[in-house]
Amino acid sequence: MVDELEKKIIHHLQDTIPFTERPFADIATKIGISEKELIKRIKELKEKGILRRFGATLYHQRAGVKTNVMVAWNVPENIVDEVGALMAGFEEISHCYKRKIQGDWKYNLFTMIHSNNKKDFKKVLDKIIETTGMKDYIMLSTLKELKKVSPTYY
Amino acid sequence: MDDIDRKILNEIQACFPITERPYKYLGDKLDCTEDEIFLRVKRLIKDGIIRRIGGSFSPKKLGFVSTLCAAKVPEDKIEKFVEVVNKYSGVTHNYFRDHEYNIWFTFIAPDMNLIKNHIGQIVRSTGVNDILNLPSLKTYKILVDFHIS
Repeated sequence: MVDELEKKIIHHLQDTIPFTERPFADIATKIGISEKELIKRIKELKEKGILRRFGATLYHQRAGVKTNVMVAWNVPENIVDEVGALMAGFEEISHCYKRKIQGDWKYNLFTMIHSNNKKDFKKVLDKIIETTGMKDYIMLSTLKELKKVSPTYY
Repeated sequence: MDDIDRKILNEIQACFPITERPYKYLGDKLDCTEDEIFLRVKRLIKDGIIRRIGGSFSPKKLGFVSTLCAAKVPEDKIEKFVEVVNKYSGVTHNYFRDHEYNIWFTFIAPDMNLIKNHIGQIVRSTGVNDILNLPSLKTYKILVDFHIS
């Protein structure tokens, strides 16, 4: 868990830092600690794995990564770890999770596949099918982004 | 976008320098001045290439839980449904997808019961009954930065 100072730091980092030449000095002033102390504490959060990544998030379509398709797979429970590991090995796959199934929903392995166009996507998909032997899948293409914000923790 | 822009993006996606003068640090690395890097980053923000510069935290390590929800929403109810769902601050992503489960959103909260209560509220206020709650059981990969070429 985190202490009160760490909560304040997370509050200032969870969305976006100020676009100034000395962003950490500006945040430190707001919190009321020194810039050195702030930098030390951020690095500690990173070492503890609480801060997973500190960096820029892009609008991918404008940056040139054109298509991203969520594909959900129906993978037999006894081989799901093995298939998950194979899927994770693909550089075109950014996210891969095993999820709880329920009701009429039987697809337990979720992947996010990125490619530059539809033709490339098909190639990647074929390669994944060939490598894993999985054939029961469903494509969940994005028609529209309805919301995208960073989580607010504190 | 030119070569230097792409180099900057690849650098700061993976890791924005956590140091007193981050733009000077990048400049030294990419053989540019501090001012030039800063102006380029400002432009990439203004042009809508960079969405934000900030932290991605581990919800789990902060004591939060998250889930992916999928709803089967009739076409005439989509607008109202999205309006209701998006009002929750715990809903961080929401997408209209090409499937009979057409609205997919992520929910994050301090505990799963809170999320279940919120889903219950959404069902009652929108009349949409068919909402799947698909928490992740295992993570095989999370990669959030892409090489820009």
